[in-house]
Parts: sequence; C-alpha cells; structure tokens
Amino acid sequence: MTLLKRIIACLDVDEGRVVKGVEFVNLTSVGDPAAMAERYEADGADEIVFLDVSATHSGRATLLDVVSRTAQRLFIPLTVGGGVRTVSDVDLVLRAGADKVAVNSAAVSNPLLLTEASVRFGAQCIVASIDARSREGGWEVYVNGGRVPTGLDAIDWARRCADLGAGEILMTSIDRDGTRYGYDLDLVAQVSEAVNVPVIASGGAGNAKHISEAFTSGADAALLAGILHDGTTDLLTLKAELLREGHTVRRAA
Amino acid sequence: MTTIALLDYGTGNLHSLAKAMARVGEVRIADDVSDALCADMLVLPGVGAFGQAASETAPFRGEIRSALAEGLPCIGVCLGMQLLLDSSEESAGEGIGLIGGSVRRISAKRLPQMGWNSVDWDSVARPSRASLRVPRLEVAYFANSFVASPSDESSVVAWATHEGDRFPSVVRTANTVGIQFHPEKSSRAGVDFLCGVAEELLACR
Repeated sequence: MTLLKRIIACLDVDEGRVVKGVEFVNLTSVGDPAAMAERYEADGADEIVFLDVSATHSGRATLLDVVSRTAQRLFIPLTVGGGVRTVSDVDLVLRAGADKVAVNSAAVSNPLLLTEASVRFGAQCIVASIDARSREGGWEVYVNGGRVPTGLDAIDWARRCADLGAGEILMTSIDRDGTRYGYDLDLVAQVSEAVNVPVIASGGAGNAKHISEAFTSGADAALLAGILHDGTTDLLTLKAELLREGHTVRRAA
Repeated sequence: MTTIALLDYGTGNLHSLAKAMARVGEVRIADDVSDALCADMLVLPGVGAFGQAASETAPFRGEIRSALAEGLPCIGVCLGMQLLLDSSEESAGEGIGLIGGSVRRISAKRLPQMGWNSVDWDSVARPSRASLRVPRLEVAYFANSFVASPSDESSVVAWATHEGDRFPSVVRTANTVGIQFHPEKSSRAGVDFLCGVAEELLACR
C-alpha cells in the first residue's frame, strides 16, 4: 500500500468570512470558514486550506481567531496561507492551530524564510505556494496575488523552494484558475518531475476527470474551490468517480 | 478527574491534540517536565524537529524514562514517538531511550511522506502489555520523513509502508504507546482511536 491521493478543499477568507463563489443556499453556515471546513471534513475532504485575502491588519487578526476556532472542531490537516512574511508569522499561525503554513510572495523576496521556518518547525509544515503564468517555453512566477511578475521560472523556483526546506509545493496555474477547463497538466507533470516533495495541483478543476488527469500527471493532491462551494459537485461524488477510475483515494468515514 | 499533560517543546500546533483528548480527561499544556510527570497521563506531541524537542527533554531524560518504565501511561505522537528512542539521524540530541534503537530517514524518493496511508496491524499474537485491544484504525494521516527503527521489534504493534520502505506505525512498551501517524488529524476515526488508546492505557495503571 502506498499513499492515497488527496483532495484538498480551499477556502478564500477575507476579514474572517469565506468569499468568492460561495452559494450554498440553504445553509446557515454560509460564509463561516470553520463551519464550512467541518462540513467538508464530514464529506470526505482529506485536508483544508484557508487562503487569507484580507488587506488589513484587523483582517489578519480575525484570521487567527478563525484558525483557532476551526482547530477546535476540525480533525483533518489545516493549511493557512496569505500574508505570511516572517518566521514569527509562521509561529503565530501554527500556534493558532494550523498544521501547515503556505508561504508565497515572502519566499520570493526572502528565500531563507523557507529554511528558517523549516528548521524550526519541520519541513512537513512548510508549504511553498507558487502562482505561475505560462510564457514562451515555460511558466513565470508571479507574486502579490498573481499581479506582479518576478522573472523567475516556475519549475526552477519550485526546485529551489524544495532545496531550501519546503516540504510540499502548491502550484497554482493563474491561466487556469477559475476557468474549470482542467489543471495545467504540463505544469503539473514538470513540477512533479522536478521536485522530490509532494506536489498539490491547483487552478482549473471542473470535474472528477480533471482531478484524475492531475493525479495521472504526477500530482499527489488536487486543490478544489469553486466547484465545491457553488454546489456543482461534492466530495462524495468526486471520490466515488475517482475510485471507479482506479485512483486510490480515501473513502469518507 | 483524569489529568493529561501535553508536553510543550516550544513549537507548533498543540490545539488539535488537546481538543481530541478532551473527552478522556482534563488536558493541560505543560512546559515543565516535572509538573507534566505528576499528571495521570503524559502526551508527547508530534510537531517540530527532533533536535529542538530533544534539547527540551534531554535534561530530564532519566526522570521521564523511569516514570514511563514504572508504568506512567504515555502516548507519543509522530515526533513524540521518535523521542522514545535513543537518537535520530534528523538531528543531534538524545531521546528518552525507553525503546532501544534510533530514528532513521525513510528510504523513498518523495519525502516527507505526506497524506493518508494504511496502518498494517501485526498479526503476531502478543502478551497484552505489547498489544492494544482498541478497535483498529485502518487508514491514517502521516506527515514525516523520519521513522523509528527499534533494535528489538517486539514492541511493534503495527507497521506502515511508504514507497516500499516498511516501518513501525504503532509501538507499545510498558504503558507507553508511540504512534507515528497523526490520529488527531485522521478525522473522527483517528480521534476515536486516540481516545481508545488513552482509555486502555489509563485502565492498565
């Protein structure tokens, strides 16, 4: 037996509330990250990611409160990203109750942050989150929410992040994000080949077939957001389809 | 009321473990070893690096080892299980040494082992002190690059395999159980397993 392929539900959190495409109509939990995370756990999610998109300090403080509330009732791994700049930010997020911390822009401006955080907290809780946009002959890393190009090659940067101490790579295709056309499979295949840490494919999931393709291309895990939040499908259905496709995924308890 | 002391080595998330065990007893986070050893059960949590945790526990290793050898119920999770051995390839420092042997890197291309894997229960019949009666957990969440390599495998209750490399996933010596995966991150079934182990150990006091 080897590791099961993971499905990770991602929630964008702004000022303590889930934003973007959340349209559960008959639920009182709409918009509450802790309640939604708990619901996804019950449905069979293997992990949860909170991505903080708050622009303000008060938003950040609220996020820590949300993380600690979530940790009280969630019994699957929780990754928190967005606005993590320093080792002490990593410490605060872990202390609040996250299991892993995703570092994005700050790793580009200060690559040693990955090393310092990894030595102190262990590689297994440091995720390098990379936003990549395709360009001639490959993909370029963008930072600040995908707005600012860095000139870095995404595959080289992923390799470097793993060398610096990241224990996992979360690779998001900016081109595919929100399109539901499927993951960028070339990107998934190349980054999985380039690094020896687990790779999470992100950006573009529209159905179970897309997840299946990402797994076949080498991803260890697939990140989902919109199609879960708007009720297009659910984790039970997706996992049943993936099992039929011959993928080893965990059945919901 | 049963008291459970969760030893804080100074890093990482202790919330989930504390919350998961709250139905077994009153859980308190302890930074002081002597204080922790006065509780009904000691829990060695599973976050951080070996060196860091060993530097916190090493000054008290004799004290902890005697308490565990004398039957203090104890659960070590992930790194907390690894601390029960003598040493680790991960970093310098002395473990508690309750279980003879060392901690080694998993022989695999992709590390850390991150995700859900099977728990393979050992089929060899064992005397009750080296086994567990709680309902078996079949699949659990792992997040580790290092594993225990005990010199004597009689303490191994269950195994797991990553990329062909087999290693102990549950060990038991006296009233101490080491768990390489994270039961507190293995959904409801994991929490039930963890609490079941705790209750079984407390009943053996």
